[in-house]
Order: sequence, then structure tokens, then C-alpha cells
Amino acid sequence: MANKKLTLALFSGSVDKLTAAGVILGGAAAEDMDVDIFVLLQAAFAFKKENALTNDRVAEITDKKDEFLASLKFLGAPHWTEAFRTAKEMTNVNIHICGFAGKVWNGYKLDDFIDLADDICGIGEYMTSAETADINLFI
Amino acid sequence: MNSEELAQVKADRSVDARGTSCPGPLLAAKKAIGQIEKGQVMEVLSADEGTRRDIPKWCSKKGYEYLGTLEESGFFKIFLRK
Repeated sequence: MANKKLTLALFSGSVDKLTAAGVILGGAAAEDMDVDIFVLLQAAFAFKKENALTNDRVAEITDKKDEFLASLKFLGAPHWTEAFRTAKEMTNVNIHICGFAGKVWNGYKLDDFIDLADDICGIGEYMTSAETADINLFI
Repeated sequence: MNSEELAQVKADRSVDARGTSCPGPLLAAKKAIGQIEKGQVMEVLSADEGTRRDIPKWCSKKGYEYLGTLEESGFFKIFLRK
């Protein structure tokens, strides 16, 4: 029987939403789901090599950012890049950088992004993946 | 299994995931299940409340037998058979 598929349109470049995406990826990995992630606009910023580990922006409850980040550290939560990497090691995860999003952040080549990224693609890839997904999320 | 029966179970593999939060215990279980044989029993130690509900559901989806959960002091022992 074919694995179920999760398609994730990842728009956010903030660590709170990226961390949430990492938790969901963990669930998908535990269930051996195939995962397609499409890195859109602000997420492409977070995937740039120079930003991935230094970007500490949060999207929600911004007045509690320091408390939030300290709590993640206290709980031993992995950085979102590590959560994504773990999922890639455990199941079939393909991470596609939207070509337009890459250019918005001056990323023209795959090498401009962290090594989690597998390719640069157009929106047609997302449409094709979403059409056959069992779960389709936008974060 | 009831608590008395679970207390007598000798697990073939023990996974201590008490230092991690969701989805850490589930991923630890996923990694370890590949290292035991069909019919063997694994126990997952977790202090994460969500795990006691996640593991039974995961077992059901993956075809493993959930045996039950023991509450210890500050953590759970979750038993399953591959």
C-alpha cells in the first residue's frame, strides 16, 4: 500500500511557525508519510544559509518572544532545522524552494539555501502535489 | 492488559524519552521499533502527557499491539508489541 502524503505550503519565516511545522513533520515521519514542502515567500528568507540559524523572529504573541524562546530551550526542543532534518532522515521528505520566493530574498541558486532544500521549483509542482495529498496544509 | 499484568511484563527493548517533548517520544519509538523483532515487546518511557495518547493511535495505524500504560512517578511506561 502506498504511503499517505502530506503537502505543506510553508509561507512563514518565523521560528514559532517553523517550530510548529517541525512538530507536524515529526508526526508525519512517525507514520511514514511522504511529505512535500513548498517554501514560499517569507519561509524562503528563513531557508537562506545566512538566516537559518540566526533568524529569531516570531509571528505571534511577539511581546512574549523572549519567554517563548527561553521555554523552547528549557524544554530541549530542537531548532526547527533539526526537526526538519530528523523528519528527512526518517521518511521521504522533499523540500522545494519556490523560485519566485527565492528571488525575493536574493536566492537564485539551490546553493543559496540550507542543505535541507532539494530543489527550486514553480507553482505547478505545488498544484500537482496538492492534488494528490491526503493532508494539505498552509502554515 | 491491566496494571498488575503490565507490571510483570519484561520488555525486550526500553526507550527512555523522558527528556523530550512531543514529537520526541513518538520519534524515539519509531526509531527503536525497527530494532526489535516481530512479537517482541517495547516499553516507551515518557513524561509527555500527549505521548500516552499518541502511542496507542500510532500502534493502531502501524499494526502494532498496544498493551497498556503504567503511571509511574512523573512519567509513563507505555508498552507495545511489534
